[in-house]
Amino acid sequence: MTRDEFERNRRRFGDDVNAWPAPFRQEALAFMAGVTATERALQDDPDRALDRLVLEAALTDGDDQALARKVLARIDAGRAQSSFLPGFFLAPAGLAACAAAALLAVTVAGYQVARLQDDLPDSELLALASGARLSDEPGIVDEPGIAADPIEEDSL
Amino acid sequence: MVPVAVQHEKPREDDELLARVAAGNQSALSELIARHGRGLRTFAARYLGNEGDAEDVVQEVFVTVWKQAVRFDSARGRASTWLYRITANRCIDQRRRQALRTFMGLDDISDEVASREPDAEAATAARQELAIVRDGLSRLPERQRMAVLLRAVGDLDIAAIAEVMGGSVGSAEQLLVRGRRALRDHLAMTAEGRERKSS
Repeated sequence: MTRDEFERNRRRFGDDVNAWPAPFRQEALAFMAGVTATERALQDDPDRALDRLVLEAALTDGDDQALARKVLARIDAGRAQSSFLPGFFLAPAGLAACAAAALLAVTVAGYQVARLQDDLPDSELLALASGARLSDEPGIVDEPGIAADPIEEDSL
Repeated sequence: MVPVAVQHEKPREDDELLARVAAGNQSALSELIARHGRGLRTFAARYLGNEGDAEDVVQEVFVTVWKQAVRFDSARGRASTWLYRITANRCIDQRRRQALRTFMGLDDISDEVASREPDAEAATAARQELAIVRDGLSRLPERQRMAVLLRAVGDLDIAAIAEVMGGSVGSAEQLLVRGRRALRDHLAMTAEGRERKSS
């Protein structure tokens, strides 16, 4: 940490370095202690020395303001989306409920369509009752049993 | 025995910010990001080994904070511990997604942050040492890496690390001890190898 960075962080987080958030706090404490004092302390406590090394190695560059902008944009986008689609439907439970409802609706619709197709007209039922055979095409009776031929009927 | 770190951070400041976030104050969220964004991003980047994924994870974390700040109870723990817990969970989710994508052949295993070779990264000895530490971190088992990073980057004490990782204090301590030992071994082995090479 440089003097400029230290001053900038002091303006951001206040004069009390112990109240600064991690990892700014560890860096500032090391900076304030000075190199010699820090090295001495690190020699006394090898775990602390390793932690410090890990922190130094782990630090990545990044823009917190850009991060804040992106987060706020995501929040606004989420709001816009949720005004069209309730949050419940976006949650896993909501999606599962929607899928179950859709499956049920398709099953009922399929059953209804099949039932309508299988409904036999009255004439066919009458023909079946008399022992006639139904053709593959609906509504056509192959071999009429009774009353198929008016002449035959009259002859009885 | 690992000494339990002293927590310096004043919890009230973060608690107040979270209370304001819960009330829908976006500037409080920005302030919270300014305070903790860097730490969380550093933690996620080194845990995941990929800065792009870490950026996504940290964005998700703060969106979650925005939605669930009202559920934060300061009596049950520190705000920073809560933030690191959310981040750790998101990182684990991200790891699982990565593993699934790799299993399905949609992704190659890429470790962007860790893939920098120690020799290629820096000319100076100090920077080389940091590169070796990064390399060592990337080779640690995931839970050990998480414990080491929570301690070093998040400055969390053992109890807070246990809370974040959802385990006991004893197991968190064990993970930290083993992680540190493995990291030290890696540093020593690398130094030995270099000496042998130069001689």
